[in-house]
Amino acid sequence: MQAAVQQLFKWMPFLFGIGFIAPLIAQTMAYWDIAAPFGMSRIAFGLLIGAPWGLYAVLRGRWV
Amino acid sequence: MSDRPIGEEPVLSRDSAELETCAPEADTPAIPLAAEDELDRHVRRDLRRQELAIAKQFMGGTMWPYVVAAWGGFALWLSLFPLTMLGIMPLPIAFVISCILATGGYVTSHEAMHSNIAQKGSKYRWINEWVGQVSTIPIVFPFSMARLMHLEHHYHCNDPLRDPDYPDEAPNALMAWYKTWYNRQPGVDGSIHAYKRILREMGTPEAERSLKETMVLQLVFMAVLFTMAWTGYAIEAALVWWLPRHIGLSYIRFYLSWAPHHPREGRTGRYENTYIFKSRLGHVLSMCMETHLIHHLYPNIPNHRTRAAYFALKPILAARGVDVSKL
Repeated sequence: MQAAVQQLFKWMPFLFGIGFIAPLIAQTMAYWDIAAPFGMSRIAFGLLIGAPWGLYAVLRGRWV
Repeated sequence: MSDRPIGEEPVLSRDSAELETCAPEADTPAIPLAAEDELDRHVRRDLRRQELAIAKQFMGGTMWPYVVAAWGGFALWLSLFPLTMLGIMPLPIAFVISCILATGGYVTSHEAMHSNIAQKGSKYRWINEWVGQVSTIPIVFPFSMARLMHLEHHYHCNDPLRDPDYPDEAPNALMAWYKTWYNRQPGVDGSIHAYKRILREMGTPEAERSLKETMVLQLVFMAVLFTMAWTGYAIEAALVWWLPRHIGLSYIRFYLSWAPHHPREGRTGRYENTYIFKSRLGHVLSMCMETHLIHHLYPNIPNHRTRAAYFALKPILAARGVDVSKL
């Protein structure tokens, strides 16, 4: 149980990228009426940014 | 516990006899100040007696405003979620309110950490505990962790290995603001990450409980953010909880940790581990931290009375070698 929780927290930045940053990007774009590039949906564009960014934070230990 | 600061546990009991007994024992700072060197033992004891007599006049007092602020603030903070989601309150206003509540919550929680609202054994103790419990929820910082780590900070103030707040040290104000953010990064051993490590090292039942509560609160925080975000309320979640939490944590770290204790290196003595300073934002907006030294000397003097206590104690502090030129 403890190991599972530790793994969950280790991967939390990645989950945060998918669970929060992606929809935040999509909804912010919708608020400002900005279309996603290449015919993508806004949420797909958000996931394209949020997931790799979260993964980067997991691997590097920093968001920037 | 020999390096425990005077005014921590013994004073928590507000037992004057205990206070008088313990006071001279911890009189010697770890690194003597210049003025202290010039004072003989009898002068120091006499100064301590005078100091205690004055300090006692400022201990306790009216504490119910802290209770109202904590509980009312928490209720207001909770109400921001439905108010913004239903479009009743404009988001910019909710954001400003949430930033103020997230930051100010630490002040009310801080009084509870030192049992200044109700002592252990008091029939009103539950009020003290619930003020602490709700105050720091907006910054996702459980009261049990906050209290344990804050008391460790008092016991080992400015000790690079044992003071949990030592990672906040920075060479200047700009770097200090940067570190408030940097220390929260997932792979950096600062802020709550350092607290978790210290709690694991402590290994006491209280530390274990604190770690569990931290885990639960962090998971609840994430669950709320994810749920709100994927149901169309990501901006509301960001401006009511996520961003105010970060702003509050940075503000708290800067004004409650860096500003009153910088520079930290080698300054572990009773009269030198905290500084009197003049804040550009004034006494209230710096959360009364200009006179944080008084809090470290006597934690049972409530935050709002440290300024008056400082001016009453100023001549004695000057005789002790404290730099009182700033205020």
